[in-house]
Amino acid sequence: MISQFFILSSKGDPLIYKDFRGDSGGRDVAELFYRKLTGLPGDESPVVMVTSGGKRHHDGRHFIHIRHSSLYLVVTTSENVSPFSLLELLSRLATLLGDYCGSLGEGTISRNVALVYELLDEVLDYGYVQTTSTEMLRNFIQTEAVVSKPFSLFDLSSVGLFGAETQQSKVAPSSAASRPVLSSRSDQSQKNEVFLDVVERLSVLIASNGSLLKVDVQGEIRLKSFLPSGSEMRIGLTEEFCVGKSELRGYGPGIRVDEVSFHSSVNLDEFESHRILRLQPPQGELTVMRYQLSDDLPSPLPFRLFPSVQWDRGSGRLQVYLKLRCDLPSKSQALNVRLHLPLPRGVVSLSQELSSPEQKAELADGALRWDLPQVQGGSQLSGLFQMDVPGPPGPPSHGLSTSASPLGLGPASLSFELPRHTCSGLQVRFLRLAFRPCGNANPHKWVRHLSHSDAYVIRI
Amino acid sequence: MTDSKYFTTNKKAEIFELKAELNNEKKEKRKEAVKKVIAVITVGKDVSSVFPDIVNCMQTDNLKLKKLVYLYLMNYAKSQPDMAIIAVNSFVKDCEDPNLLIQALAVRTMGCIWVDKITEYLSEPLLKCLEDEHPYVRKTAAVCVAKLHDINAQMVEDQGFLDYLWGLIADSNPMVVANAVAALSEISESHPNSNLLNLNTQNINKLRTALNKGQIFMLDCLSNYNPKNDRKAQSICERVTPQLSHANSAVVLSVVKVLMKFLELLPKDSDYYNMLLKKLAPPLVTLMSGESEVQYASLRNINLIVQKRPEILKQEIKVFFVKYNDPIYVKLEKLDIRIHLASQANIAQVLAELKEYATEVNVDFVRKAVWATGRCAIKVEQSAEHCVSTLLDLIKTKVNYVVQEVIAVIRDIFRKYSNKYESIIATLCENLDSLDEPDARSAMIWILLESFLEGFHDENTQEQLTLLTLVQQMLTLATQDSDNPDLRERGYTYWALLSADPVTAKEVVLSEKPLISQETELIEPTALEELICHIGSLASVYHKPSNAFVEGSHGIHRKHLPIHHGSTDAGDSPVGTTTATNLEQPQVIPSQGDLLGSLLNLDLSLPINVPQVSSMQMGAVDLLGGGLDSLVGQSFIPSSVPATFAPSPTPAVVRSGLNDLFELSTGIGMAPGGYVAPKAVWLPAVKAKGLEISGTFTHRQGVGWILESSLTGVIPSTPLAIHTPLMPNQSIDVSLSLNTLGGCEKQYRCLLLQLPQPTQCAFVEGGKMEHQVFLATWKNIPNENELQFQIKECHLNADTVSSELQNNNVYTIAKRNVEGRDILYQSLKLTNGIWILAELRVQPGNPNYTLSRKCRAPEVSQYIYQVHNSILKN
Repeated sequence: MISQFFILSSKGDPLIYKDFRGDSGGRDVAELFYRKLTGLPGDESPVVMVTSGGKRHHDGRHFIHIRHSSLYLVVTTSENVSPFSLLELLSRLATLLGDYCGSLGEGTISRNVALVYELLDEVLDYGYVQTTSTEMLRNFIQTEAVVSKPFSLFDLSSVGLFGAETQQSKVAPSSAASRPVLSSRSDQSQKNEVFLDVVERLSVLIASNGSLLKVDVQGEIRLKSFLPSGSEMRIGLTEEFCVGKSELRGYGPGIRVDEVSFHSSVNLDEFESHRILRLQPPQGELTVMRYQLSDDLPSPLPFRLFPSVQWDRGSGRLQVYLKLRCDLPSKSQALNVRLHLPLPRGVVSLSQELSSPEQKAELADGALRWDLPQVQGGSQLSGLFQMDVPGPPGPPSHGLSTSASPLGLGPASLSFELPRHTCSGLQVRFLRLAFRPCGNANPHKWVRHLSHSDAYVIRI
Repeated sequence: MTDSKYFTTNKKAEIFELKAELNNEKKEKRKEAVKKVIAVITVGKDVSSVFPDIVNCMQTDNLKLKKLVYLYLMNYAKSQPDMAIIAVNSFVKDCEDPNLLIQALAVRTMGCIWVDKITEYLSEPLLKCLEDEHPYVRKTAAVCVAKLHDINAQMVEDQGFLDYLWGLIADSNPMVVANAVAALSEISESHPNSNLLNLNTQNINKLRTALNKGQIFMLDCLSNYNPKNDRKAQSICERVTPQLSHANSAVVLSVVKVLMKFLELLPKDSDYYNMLLKKLAPPLVTLMSGESEVQYASLRNINLIVQKRPEILKQEIKVFFVKYNDPIYVKLEKLDIRIHLASQANIAQVLAELKEYATEVNVDFVRKAVWATGRCAIKVEQSAEHCVSTLLDLIKTKVNYVVQEVIAVIRDIFRKYSNKYESIIATLCENLDSLDEPDARSAMIWILLESFLEGFHDENTQEQLTLLTLVQQMLTLATQDSDNPDLRERGYTYWALLSADPVTAKEVVLSEKPLISQETELIEPTALEELICHIGSLASVYHKPSNAFVEGSHGIHRKHLPIHHGSTDAGDSPVGTTTATNLEQPQVIPSQGDLLGSLLNLDLSLPINVPQVSSMQMGAVDLLGGGLDSLVGQSFIPSSVPATFAPSPTPAVVRSGLNDLFELSTGIGMAPGGYVAPKAVWLPAVKAKGLEISGTFTHRQGVGWILESSLTGVIPSTPLAIHTPLMPNQSIDVSLSLNTLGGCEKQYRCLLLQLPQPTQCAFVEGGKMEHQVFLATWKNIPNENELQFQIKECHLNADTVSSELQNNNVYTIAKRNVEGRDILYQSLKLTNGIWILAELRVQPGNPNYTLSRKCRAPEVSQYIYQVHNSILKN
């Protein structure tokens, strides 16, 4: 069972602290944990044991944490419990807090301290999990969320994704999707909305000789519903959707994935025959389906990079020429493309020649950052970068200009978003609601597709 | 109006202001004030002084305000029980409130403020709530019983709360059932002897029907259940396999645990077995697509699974590609698993990856990648060539930490393939100046000296003399100038050995260097089995048995994988089986090289002739004072100088970024109950002419670590109480504390001296087998393992024989009289854990007894016969 729960800000300040059993060292442990967290150069592993005295191993306290929207959600326990259930609980709590407070963040948490405590009180009693269902909790929660700014449905320009963690911004919530599920008790008009997102994360590893070492796609269908709970909906997927290597559907090659798992509330009666998911989602967020695909991608990779490196060891002049080709269909485009290329230690100056004016390149944290706000499918962009690398101490090696790259250069990693594109080819055909609102307008349905990079690495 | 501004209140007037606001007439104001108080609590300030004012606010029918008040009370009730008494009337009243929210709130908070004085007030409302019509109240009350038990266990038992809890197990609401079970199990854990949650087949069925939500709990119960035969195991496996695709990783891991356990029970050649292996891979792969936190915990578990059954994931090595943006803790784990999965088929790919990783930025990761390259060389022999050239490439980078790490791993490669890669020494020497880490330096010294010694005979006299002088100087330095007792002691040992009896010294110090093998990176098999039983728990993430880090009775039961007995087997497995498997373990050797050991590693192999001694004198001998002659002159008997050439317990080199985890584990091996591998014989008695040295060590992530120190009578100022004289063949376990450089106290133990004449002391107490077990074991051991001996000229009757043997730890299990002859059934256990069963036929009047022995390891039988003989004769 759980002894304590706390939320730390990215700076380590406790935002929420709750002791469930009073059997632990009190709030000093939060301090202890944070000291540990900052003591390491990298990230702390999510399951650690911390001993306070160091003499007896039995007074060790186990800290299990997740990082979410730059907050640390931490539970402690002193028993040999399943860290998996605790990790699941923490991510469920993160969603729950997001549901109730609008979105999860330092600001929203500190604005809603009382609400968070009230939630925690109902979710956990004496360290035992009671319920984590948004729906159940609704009966018990009295405090209303305090939100920072009013929502406007007409602010469509910023309709982004609610949970998709892209490279650029860990969370890119649209203001419409990031309102608390409960805040609008009085305001019926806003209720009838449902968001359905197909989000795919693409990770790719390309060797320096250009061969593809690994590719995999992890996809999710996520739903955020503001409809009254229990209203039934049907989600139709691409009919040629096949699971596993052997299944065959339709006449073409089909849309194939390796593994699929569904949320337990999804009714699969029509899945086999028509690829339709039926469900009655509660209000709030829900991951309807998860799937993965590796190795065999139906479409070509969105980007290829052709680097060439010239390094003059003697003078320390390093020249990198990068050619980036976008292999998307010409109607599609990639947004917020950023290429990140670690450079050898001590690089000082940078001169650049870029193929188009809207691009930007700069040195940041010992790496080259090349920003391409928008790349059209089928286009090719290039950049020539020249840098000075101070030579290694000692006698200057009589090096000529070589193509061997110096230590510390690369690998290049790309981050990007591909709106209205799924790498697997999976599409939502339709989203039908059985629910007919009594009175006002039809519910708004938003169906969005997006792929973004998870780790798109090209070795140089 | 937001809460955030409460964080920035001015401290001085704060309390006063709050008090005023709390007593404001307007409800809204009061509500805001309580909110403010709660925000202040979070920041860590003490606001207990407003307790009375808060209690005043309690008398309200505003639900929102009331909830806030209770939030405050929950926080302070435990630390301020006296103040909580003021609120007791409100509690009692709220417990009967028509609003179930308030009712439950009161019950929940009540559990935290149990003060003797008000017990009677509160126990009655609690009992009522346990029977409340609304499940929300009942489930809160159920947990409250557990809270109450924590405060006043006696009362819970006296007032019959437990009966209520048992009643709630049959509740219609799953949440109530879950809480009741949780409360009961918590209470039962605090009473190790009570049988509250006694799980038998019947109870499991009961719980199965009761709990449809507590899948993990159910699965854990299942994994603790030992099916009688493989058909039953298979049917359980079939039931749980569908859960492998569950979205909750905790459930998946629990299923994996059950399957891993029951796989042991299934016949290896059955189709079902192979199908099950195939089914295990996809869910494990799926876990890799979760959040990095879940990935980390999964990887730690997969590490165990891969060590136990590499075949499951051997096709999936691609999944463990290190992603550029993985957090460091995930990267390191993936690397580990890649090494476990490396084989001849994929080694080229693995090595290419490792080389890429070695150019990354993170120092820990780079070091681990270099280290892993070395591991590959040792694991996959065919790749050694390739690995070495990769390592040489890495040296050329001249990056300091890379070079140091490379040299450290090359030492290990040399140990595995001696005389193969000596040509690279020149390259290594170029980097001599840059070495500043102890591990790299010692590795370099080892490599250099080893290469000198290889060719010792070919060198000219001058070089040989120089080397010898160095040895002499080194010993002097080590014994006289060193502050490190560990070093000094080893110096003495070698010196004494060399001076007293060079022949023994040769045997001890120069024995074959154990070959380094891949096994050093693995978790010791019995420990691995135990950890497999804990898949999905913290133990599996730390790779430490749970009793090393949690208290409580439930941690003590050590779990083992079930043993396959074929299709029809009944009852417990004979202990002999387990020990037999232990003995078969590959002998694992430490990866730490031993500088001194190898220094003295002169190539000598003369025949050995050591005087046999029946008793030995263990006294503190002043080695330095006497010099050579006096050493021999003293009553110091040569063969009583046992020494291990085990590397001294050097602080383990931490090769991962998880330094702190590692740090925590230091010394755990010796903590009470911590896992220590069974002793293995290092230097068998036969080889060293009666000197037997056995040792054991624990593993910590790739670093073999010996928990043994040489301990002889030659230790000056030994802090040990050693029985003098040491009886022949007596074995003693001695613990002694040594101060290492770091100043931390460590314990080394396990010394086993065995002198040639085998006697009773080889048998340990507790060798008495249960009657049933004896019978089953006797039947189980094949007849060809039975050996018959005659004990001649013995004039004792059956009873005295039995009591005489009993004194020597040979236990008589049963006695039977057949046709005038007494048949005694006996069992005994050897110090190394081997069980031996014996049947002794004694015929009155006939001085010759017949002794039949059965043992899974027949080779020891002969030896036991002699022991038996000598016991009865004396």
